[in-house]
Amino acid sequence: MMELMWYVVGFLAGVSGYLVYMLSRKYNLGVIGLGSLIIGLFLILFTVAWSVGSVLEGVPRAASMGIVFFAMPGIVLLTFTAKRFLTPRYRKT
Amino acid sequence: MTENMHDPGVSNKMPSSSGSNRGEGNSKSKTSRRSFLKLSVAGAGVAAAGAAGITVARRMEGIPQDTLPIPINDDFKPIDQRNVLHIFAYSKALDQKHPERTKKFGNYNFYERFKTFYNGPYRKDPGYTQLERALAIGGFALLSKLHGPYGLSNPDGLLSSWKQEMLAKSQYEFPSKQEASQVIKSAAALYGAIKCGITRRDRRFDYDPLYDIGQERELSWERDFPFEPKTVIVIMTEMDYLAMSTAPSWITDATVGNAYVEALKIAAQTALFLRQLGYKAVATMNDMGMCGPYAVAAGLGEGGRNGQVITTGYGPRVRISKVYTDLDYVEYDKPKTLGVASFCLQCKRCAESCPSEAITFDGPSWEPTYSSDPDYIWHAAKGVYKFHNDTKKCFKFWIENDGACANCIASCPYNKPDFSHHRFVDIMNVVAPSQVHGLMKEFDILFGYGTVSDPAAVKKFWKKGRTKT
Ligand code: SF4
Ligand code: SF4
Repeated sequence: MMELMWYVVGFLAGVSGYLVYMLSRKYNLGVIGLGSLIIGLFLILFTVAWSVGSVLEGVPRAASMGIVFFAMPGIVLLTFTAKRFLTPRYRKT
Repeated sequence: MTENMHDPGVSNKMPSSSGSNRGEGNSKSKTSRRSFLKLSVAGAGVAAAGAAGITVARRMEGIPQDTLPIPINDDFKPIDQRNVLHIFAYSKALDQKHPERTKKFGNYNFYERFKTFYNGPYRKDPGYTQLERALAIGGFALLSKLHGPYGLSNPDGLLSSWKQEMLAKSQYEFPSKQEASQVIKSAAALYGAIKCGITRRDRRFDYDPLYDIGQERELSWERDFPFEPKTVIVIMTEMDYLAMSTAPSWITDATVGNAYVEALKIAAQTALFLRQLGYKAVATMNDMGMCGPYAVAAGLGEGGRNGQVITTGYGPRVRISKVYTDLDYVEYDKPKTLGVASFCLQCKRCAESCPSEAITFDGPSWEPTYSSDPDYIWHAAKGVYKFHNDTKKCFKFWIENDGACANCIASCPYNKPDFSHHRFVDIMNVVAPSQVHGLMKEFDILFGYGTVSDPAAVKKFWKKGRTKT
């Protein structure tokens, strides 16, 4: 199961990398936008790895706390990036 | 990567290249210079991240030290094995010799009480039924057969015999010290060791004199031991995480016993391996010398507040055996610091989980802080700067519990199963300043780790089947 989890996380990491590349080509994200996008995606991927690992080791509470402590800030950062930077104003001409 | 990495508010005001009146060649050279600069910055960033990664990875394995990370006074004297609690509690002669020890501990007779250990009735509480007792007896069963009837602290047992049986006549010559160490570690790993370290024999860590309860007599290193040991090989085995999480139930006894049996088996095999190479060797458990300091000296971990050796990957969830040998053509391991000492200063979780209040809440000290009465602290190692715990209280709880306890192992934040996401926390532990360690302990509790006296853990252990975690 852990192997499958790492396969999925690896795949998602690749997709995330591509997403970052495409968005940074399309938008003027700047350091803040790019930083929050990368950290946000990392936190989401980390939450997947953490939570699946926690469930597999039999500590579901750690999985749910992981979602609260890692996924939530990740979602906040990604929302912030989307609202603040992924707008027509920042679109590259 | 985007053309403009700077603030978007500023970049929006910049004229586009099509609107520029600069020459094309000039613009191209500027662009390529900028690209080159960006590439350099990116390259430097990757290199810096790589270097930081390597540094963190090295620090996670511990920072090698030239000296032992346990300060020891020059006037420190080796411990008389008669003062080891488990030797004292087994020995009728020592009990009769030291009535003051009983008196000073609230008229608690260690020898008489120890006879009742493991003889109590089954209980109804989860973790204390016939099922768990059977498991524990099974876990320890071979130990009394293979090491002898007086526990792990008594020297010269069956597999830990001092006899140099099957000693080869010719000595194998190792091409180099490094190869000798590698060969020994490969052999120990094959026999089942999860970790193996090699250190010089240090007389300060050996009991002196030794004591044989079976014969109720003192043994001398010079007179009785068959050779002069030069090197000590330290071997570690793992205790099962799920079983440990049921602490202080009788299931923990089963994994403790099982890990000891494995440790003894591996030490005996490694000792025989060395004898077959023509070097004298004796396998030993808790007898002959202190496992903790030897494990620290062999670079396998660092001493924690709970009195256990905290190792990378397993925390304190390990058992230790040793091999004394006269082979000294080996590369010795260096002790390492893992940041445990500073973590323990903030943490204290083992002390909070200890049902007998044996574990100190105080910082490290040269002598016990719980008492200065020599008739009370007769078992303590004085002159070592460490956390001093009152093992008599621990012993008393074991007798009440009718089984070992191990709450201090189960509750330790370093005790985690071998799942990769915990390695992230290990990295955090290494890079975070010591002030954050207290917070990390609180998070450990919040996330549900290290719970003790949890009937659900007993249920989980049995329901899990034998899928090893
Ligand atoms: S084994 Fe139990 S009683 Fe003994 S020191 Fe550890 S927590 Fe305390
Ligand atoms: S529980 Fe905390 S204080 Fe005790 S040994 Fe483990 S890290 Fe140190």
